[in-house]
Amino acid sequence: MVSQYGIKLATYLISASYGDFCSKVCECLLSRGTLTLMQIIRFTELSRENVVNCLRVLIHQNCVQAFSIQQEVAFGEAPKIVTQYMALFDNVIHKMRFPKFMQIVSEELGLDCLGIFEGLLQHGRLSLNQIIDRNKQTPDNSDVHVVQESFSILLNARLVERCPAPEPFLAPSSEEETPAKRRGTKSAKIAEAPKTIEQRALAEATPMESIRFLMEIDPLTGASEEKGMETHNVATLDEKWKQDFSDAELSASGRKKEILWRVNFEEFVRRLRHKACIEYVRIRLGDQSGIVLSAILELTRSSETTIKTDKSASLSINDIYDEVIKKDGGLGMDLERIRASLVQLGCQIPTTGIDETYSIDLKKIIELAQNEEVESVVLKRYGREAYRIFRLLSKSGSLLETDKISDTTFVEKKDTLKILYKLWKDGYLHMEKVSVNGPKQTLFLLWEINKESLWVRVLDEMYHAALNLRLRITYELDQEKEILQLPKEKLIGELEKRYKRLGKVRIILESSLMNLDGALMLFHDF
Amino acid sequence: MAFRGRGRGRGGFGGGGFRAAKQEPFELYPELEDLGTAEYSTRNLQLIKWYSNLQKYWNSSPYYYEGGSERTRNVQKPDVERLSDKNSQVANAKPPLWHFIKLDIDHVPAELARGDKKEKLGSKRVRWNPESAGMHKLDLFEKLEQKHQGQEGKENKENEDQEEDDERNEEEAEEEFSDEGDYEQNEYFDDDEDDYNMADDNDDEPFF
Repeated sequence: MVSQYGIKLATYLISASYGDFCSKVCECLLSRGTLTLMQIIRFTELSRENVVNCLRVLIHQNCVQAFSIQQEVAFGEAPKIVTQYMALFDNVIHKMRFPKFMQIVSEELGLDCLGIFEGLLQHGRLSLNQIIDRNKQTPDNSDVHVVQESFSILLNARLVERCPAPEPFLAPSSEEETPAKRRGTKSAKIAEAPKTIEQRALAEATPMESIRFLMEIDPLTGASEEKGMETHNVATLDEKWKQDFSDAELSASGRKKEILWRVNFEEFVRRLRHKACIEYVRIRLGDQSGIVLSAILELTRSSETTIKTDKSASLSINDIYDEVIKKDGGLGMDLERIRASLVQLGCQIPTTGIDETYSIDLKKIIELAQNEEVESVVLKRYGREAYRIFRLLSKSGSLLETDKISDTTFVEKKDTLKILYKLWKDGYLHMEKVSVNGPKQTLFLLWEINKESLWVRVLDEMYHAALNLRLRITYELDQEKEILQLPKEKLIGELEKRYKRLGKVRIILESSLMNLDGALMLFHDF
Repeated sequence: MAFRGRGRGRGGFGGGGFRAAKQEPFELYPELEDLGTAEYSTRNLQLIKWYSNLQKYWNSSPYYYEGGSERTRNVQKPDVERLSDKNSQVANAKPPLWHFIKLDIDHVPAELARGDKKEKLGSKRVRWNPESAGMHKLDLFEKLEQKHQGQEGKENKENEDQEEDDERNEEEAEEEFSDEGDYEQNEYFDDDEDDYNMADDNDDEPFF
């Protein structure tokens, strides 16, 4: 379940973008979990028409996923199939960082792709025909071929994907099914936790990897889906484009169905994760290590299957070298310098020179960045001594007694106790009392940091801060709305000062929000 | 000494029974000390602009759902109905959802789907741009931004141009949104973009 302020932030984002009705429905789904249509109507107390339209908008904007499931019925009755709806919290929060996605597209792929991409962000889902039509109505409309080519580029870069199935059916799974029986997990040493119904629905809805980024299926042969997968990936433009059915495929009933496309959030999160790792390494270990890491990540990016990969794929030293010299500032690096950077990044140089491959532990880098973030919060809020204590506890990873902490960090025992108590009250530390029965009964206090619960708390505080920032921005703009409606000539003297102040305030607040969003991703998505 | 203390206590208790609470004005954002100053940098200016544009688009689009039939019933009628009002309202109302969202069973769950009576939609009917005037303004801004990168010599000439453009755009904006009373939200900053742009050209501080 999502934390309290996470829900509030998501609800606010929906309300600001899509109105109060949609935000009520979204809040209902986030706080109560997956529901059916009737349940949503009952809990939100909105009319059926309104709920239906809100769900249509939210599904179209990728904030809600529907799936159908067989409901348990009394003995003797025919099994009922109901549709349930789940809110996609991550996608809602992604709305805050749409500009960052746009920046990636604009920097890497250019303005034509950016135009298409912006349309996908605005509408959530579009078919290729809709993209073309929309482009015709923009002021600087380009030729149809340019549009199709730009779309093709976006697809090949995996920044755009096919929309998930609108209503996948989850076959009733036997609860007795153990993880080992599922395909592919027989060799798993650690038993996976059984998937929740929401995870199963998402897995079921996602198109298969082989067609997820596949543009067309040969319309001439009228191929079925299986045959379509065998055809080669279409990157070349030819006369087929001019047909209306160029991006249609046969639906189950045999009608031609237009494919809808949407932004592939997974890929953008992956790229932002890489950016964050590279930036962290660059600041902590130096430019050269940053260049080496960015070279490695660029080469291994396409082989990552999940967002939160622990280690990058292995690369040989020669591949790394080839990529490094292509980068800015990497030209002067030779193999020895690259090896030195790799050691800094935590790799070990293999002793046998035959198979020199390296892989980077990305999870470790993310953890280090997270630790630094929390430690800086502790420093700001509780002071330098608290920071030292916190770092000690964070590094030791086990329960430490008050006196030991005080001795190691050179803090007075009284102050140590005060600080520890304050941190414990605010939920940063976990405390245990141990009493020893000896000649005198003494009570020892042991302290430790529980990373999982602390990270959840820190993340919730960040959601709270982001919500506050957004509210403050809205408030400031609201205060000065008369000024904003004045024509420019009337803005002199006092009014002009207020206007300029508003501009500065807005830039400061929004920039802070962008930075905070980086920290949010660090704790939630990376 | 004890008596004194007790006496005081009694006196205090008797006198401080229930005084009316002092009324303080409620400050939504009171001043806090020791917060430090925030960093002002225009590194993220483009990101802020993009976000602002996205928000504006969503607020003016049919995705900003405001209730179905209730809305149309509560439309405010102006005091003196004019024939031109009726026409402009029809022209400027938001397009319906199904212009953009495919409501057939292939794309939405069965219980949310709508019959395919209106499937055939000519591409010209769908309005992808809610405000062609708005897009026009943005272009102006971009062109102006390119021109005035620190050139102060042309300032006077620019002032005249901007004022003309500003007036023209404002007229267009007013026409377009005069009947959008129901759909206008509090923070509808259609004009502010322009004002920011214009300010940008006059000072060196970039606004948006």
